[in-house]
Amino acid sequence: MLTIKNLHANIGDNKILQGLDLTLEAGKVHVIMGPNGAGKSTLSKAIVGHYDVEVTEGSIDYKGKDIVKLPAEERALEGIFMSFQNPTEIPGVNNAYFLRTALNAKLKHEGKEELNAAEFLRVMREKLSSLEMKTDMLSRSLNEGFSGGEKKRNEILQMLILKPDVIILDEIDSGLDIDALKAVAEGINSMQDGKRTFLVITHYRRLLDYLTPDYIHVLKNGKILKTAGVELVDKLEEEGYDWIKAE
Amino acid sequence: MMKLTDLQNKLQNEFQIAESKSELVEKFLDLGLPNKKSEAYRYANMDKLFDQEFETLEYNAKELAYSDKILIVNGEVISMPKGIRVYYANTDEQNINLEHYDPLYFLGHLLSKKSIIIEIDGDSEVDILHRITKASTLIHYRIVIKTQVNKHASIYEHFEFDNAHESLLLYGYDVDVQKDSTLTFVKNQHSDEDAPTIIASHDIKVEKQASLTLQSFDFGNAPALQLFNIVLEEHAHVDMGQLLYLWGNVKRGTISKIIHRGESSHSVQEAKNILEGSARGIFDAIIKVEHSAKYTKTQQNSKTILLGEATYMVAKPQLEIYIDELEASHGSTIGQLDIEQLFYLRSRGITEVEARKLLIVAFANKLIGTIRDKRQEELINQNFEKAFYAQNQKTNLL
Ligand SMILES: Nc1ncnc2c1ncn2[C@@H]1O[C@H](COP(=O)(O)OP(=O)(O)OP(=O)(O)O)[C@@H](O)[C@H]1O
Ligand SMILES: [Mg+2]
Repeated sequence: MLTIKNLHANIGDNKILQGLDLTLEAGKVHVIMGPNGAGKSTLSKAIVGHYDVEVTEGSIDYKGKDIVKLPAEERALEGIFMSFQNPTEIPGVNNAYFLRTALNAKLKHEGKEELNAAEFLRVMREKLSSLEMKTDMLSRSLNEGFSGGEKKRNEILQMLILKPDVIILDEIDSGLDIDALKAVAEGINSMQDGKRTFLVITHYRRLLDYLTPDYIHVLKNGKILKTAGVELVDKLEEEGYDWIKAE
Repeated sequence: MMKLTDLQNKLQNEFQIAESKSELVEKFLDLGLPNKKSEAYRYANMDKLFDQEFETLEYNAKELAYSDKILIVNGEVISMPKGIRVYYANTDEQNINLEHYDPLYFLGHLLSKKSIIIEIDGDSEVDILHRITKASTLIHYRIVIKTQVNKHASIYEHFEFDNAHESLLLYGYDVDVQKDSTLTFVKNQHSDEDAPTIIASHDIKVEKQASLTLQSFDFGNAPALQLFNIVLEEHAHVDMGQLLYLWGNVKRGTISKIIHRGESSHSVQEAKNILEGSARGIFDAIIKVEHSAKYTKTQQNSKTILLGEATYMVAKPQLEIYIDELEASHGSTIGQLDIEQLFYLRSRGITEVEARKLLIVAFANKLIGTIRDKRQEELINQNFEKAFYAQNQKTNLL
C-alpha cells in the first residue's frame, strides 16, 4: 500500500534517516519501536510532508506514484493521516469550524456532497460520545488549553471523521489515562476494515495489548534494523534496544 | 484648480496684513502643511499631495430627501433617515479645538465654512455613507455629531468610491460624547485603485462618565490616514479597536492622541495589522495622562503580522505620564504566520490558501468578533474576504 525505499532524510544538517526501507501492507497494523531520537517521528513527518524534514534520497510510493514531492495537503486528501506527537495549539480557530473545513475538503476531493453545519454536528455528536469527549471541545479553539489527553483524543476524532487510508499514530498513547487509552484503542480498532493500514509508533506495550499488531519494526541508526511478530515486544521490554544490530 | 501649498502662502500673506487675526488661521500656519519635519506626520510622508493641482467643488445646501441612511456624495448631504436631524451650520470658531495637533484638522475647518450637523435623538443607530465619484478633486467637509445626555447612539460609517482616483478626501468629525451617554462608532472602509487619498481628522471629547467605542476596519491599497485627538473627562471611557489590512505599495494607518484629563478615566487601544505585498502600516499612538487624571487606567497594544517580503510596520505606542497613580500597560509585537500551525491545517487536507485564511481570520477576529451588530459584522467580513482574495488566489485542487 505504501512502500518506502532507501529513504534518506535530514533535519537541518543532521542526517536522521539513512537508507530506510519499509513496506506498509493493506489491512495490517505495523508498529515501530526504537530508542528516543532514533527518527521515528522524522519518518512519519517524511511520509506526511512536514517542512522540517528534507528527503535527500529514496522514494515513498503510494497509490502508484512517488509522493516525496507532493504538498502535504494533497497527501492528506489522498488519504494519508498522521496524529501528531505534540499537536499544536491554534488560538482563534474554532475546533468545529476546523473539523468541518477539513472534512468538507476531503468530501469535495472525493467528489461527494459537502456537509452543512447541522449535518456535520450530527456526525460529530456520535463520534464525540464514542471517545467520551465533551461537546464543548467543539466550541473551543483548536487544541488551545486542551490537556495532553484531550489533544490526543482530538487527533483520534479527526482520524474518525476523515477516514484516511494510511493512519500514522505517533505516540498516541502517551499522556492517556487508562479509560482514554481504551477509548482511543477502540477508535483505532473501529477503523480496521481489512484495507486501511496502520503505522503505530509507541514505546510501551500497553496500547498494543488492545490492538492486533501484525509486525513490530525496530528503527535504529536511521534504518529499520529488525522486523518480527508481536512476540518481539516482550523481548524489547526486557532487554531494551542495545542488542539489536544490523541483520 | 487649487494647490494646497498655494493656499497656505495666500493665507500667510493675508494673515500678516489682517487687522483682526483668526486663531484658526494662526494655528494652521503655526503647524503648517505636513512635511518631513512635522511631528504628527513623521511616518506618513504626504508632501506630494500638497503640490498637486486639484479641481474644487462648490458646496450648495440642498433640500434633503429621506432614505435609510445619511448619504454624503462628494461632500454634499443628499439624504437622511427620518428621526435624525441633519443640517448645515456655520462653523463656530468656539467649537474648534485649538489644542489639536493636526494641521489638517485646522485646514479642514478653514476650507469648510459650514459644517454638517448630525443630531441624534435618544437611543438610535445611523448609517453614514460617504460616496466619492470625482477624480483629481479636493473634497472636504466637517461633520459635527451631537448626541444626548444619558442615551446610547451607534454610528456605522461606510464608503463607496467610483472613479475617485487622484482625489483627496479631507474630512472628519467633531464629537462631544455627552455626560453619561455612550457612543459606538464603527468604520468599515475598503479603498483600492478607485479611491481617493483619505485624510480623516477627528476631534472627540468624552464627557464625564461617558463611554466611547471606536472600531475601525481599514482594508486596501490606497493611501489613507486617520487621526484622532480624544480627550477623556472624569470616569470617561474609550475603547478603540483598529484593524488594518493592507496590500500593494501603500502607506496607511492611524495617528492618535488620547488625553486623560479627568480622574479615573480609562482607555483601551488595540491595533491589529496585517500587511501583504510591500505595504507599510502606521500606528503612531500617544496616550497622555495629565496631572489632573489620577487613577487612570490605560492599555495599549499593537500586533502585526507581516505576510509580504517588503512589508514594514511602524508601531509606536507611547505613554506620556505626569502622575504616579495609574495603571498602564502597552506593547507591540510584529511576527509572521506560524509555520507549525499552517502545517497542522494543511496536513488535514486544507489548502495552503485556506489555511492562511483561517489563521489570518483568527488574528483579525479578536476585533471583528467584538462587533455587536451582526449586519455590520457581515459587511466587514465581506470586505475582509475581498481583501484576502485580492492577494490570495482561490485554489481548486483536482
Ligand atoms: N526541528 C528539529 N531541529 C533539530 N533537530 C531535530 C528537530 N526535530 C528532530 N530533531 C532531531 O532529530 C532526531 C530524531 O528525532 P525524532 O523526533 O524523529 O525522534 P523519535 O524517534 O521520534 O524520538 P522519541 O521517541 O523521543 O519521540 C533527534 O536527534 C532530534 O533531536
Ligand atoms: Mg517521536
